[in-house]
Amino acid sequence: MKRAAAGAAGSERLAALHGIGLSWQPSGQAALRGPLLRLAEECDRAFVRLASLWDAEEERHPASLPAERLQQVGYLRSFPHQATFVARLSPEEPNIDAFLTGPVMDEDGRVELSGLSPVTEVLTPAACYHLYSGHQGEVLDQALYLTTRNICFRQETHYVPLRRLSSFTMREIVCVGTAAETVAFLDRARTALDLFFGLIDLDLEWLTATDPFFRPEDNPRHLLQRVQPVKYEATYGGDLAIASVNRHHDHFGSGFGITRDGRAGDSSCLAFGLERWLFALTDRHGLDPASWPALEDAATTVLAKLRGGAE
Amino acid sequence: MRSDQEIRDLLRSWVLTKAPELSADGLTDRTPLFEERHLRSVHLPELLLLLERLRAAPIEVEDLRPGDFRDIHTMVDRFGGAGVTP
Repeated sequence: MKRAAAGAAGSERLAALHGIGLSWQPSGQAALRGPLLRLAEECDRAFVRLASLWDAEEERHPASLPAERLQQVGYLRSFPHQATFVARLSPEEPNIDAFLTGPVMDEDGRVELSGLSPVTEVLTPAACYHLYSGHQGEVLDQALYLTTRNICFRQETHYVPLRRLSSFTMREIVCVGTAAETVAFLDRARTALDLFFGLIDLDLEWLTATDPFFRPEDNPRHLLQRVQPVKYEATYGGDLAIASVNRHHDHFGSGFGITRDGRAGDSSCLAFGLERWLFALTDRHGLDPASWPALEDAATTVLAKLRGGAE
Repeated sequence: MRSDQEIRDLLRSWVLTKAPELSADGLTDRTPLFEERHLRSVHLPELLLLLERLRAAPIEVEDLRPGDFRDIHTMVDRFGGAGVTP
């Protein structure tokens, strides 16, 4: 099957995806099992293989970040509408008792909270924040290449199966270095992805984009991104970004005190939204696993071509 | 109305006040101002207001295009007297 019905997944499509392993909550959560989970894991293995182009070191990070770390780079002022905070009941016994003696939950599924502890953590908004934060204060004598995968959390106005989720899986490959090193990384990343897309027969279009700032018209960073694009999205079907390359200049290097070559380091990243890849691959190649492309093999071919100098 | 050369000179003076690490000799009309981080996003709103004042005409943010603020030459070319429509 080539390019199933355009637009958001309808109920028929959702039922078909359920048949290969998707469980969907309208509040924006997707659970995977069976063929779809295996496809997701193969996607990720292919991305990790692509990361070996730079010998990127794998890191694993927790589900949340201290809010004060995120605020070092102004996250909460730029994206407050998307932030998901970690809220816990204040641990004093009378407060817990007050929670338990109440209804606990109302009939609309809203938890009836008693007192909350101070909110100091934010659930991961993008996987790469952990990397910059984790390398805070480092003095680099060569470019740093890292990769990580995490579940990311964002509040959206609506949710669509495999396209727009409240929690989703993001794989990122990151370079921290000089401006020249981070630009070279992005050039190579786009070359690698273009080869990869060709090998797996997925039609993608690179489109400029901006980050989803709150009230963008009031944010000079949004204006700067418009006049000096730093984000390009690999877009499937005209409106679904399944990967992006992002140049941050020294935003994170300055915020986290990472230096390279005697000044705040630049950074750039290549990001993949795993669930969106599942949408694109099943839309393009159908729901039968036998018709899905060999993703790891394609990544291996990309590596061989680029490392062989055929760039 | 100011000439393009006047706008160029005033822009140049303004940039030098915002980018103290940049010497007058080091700033040319083709110096990439944001790309090389001499100017930052926080400077953009003031730069827009300055350009509007210098050209004596508003600038529609929706009409801005990638590269419009790349360097002094580009800004004069894009927003200078020749770029003003009555």
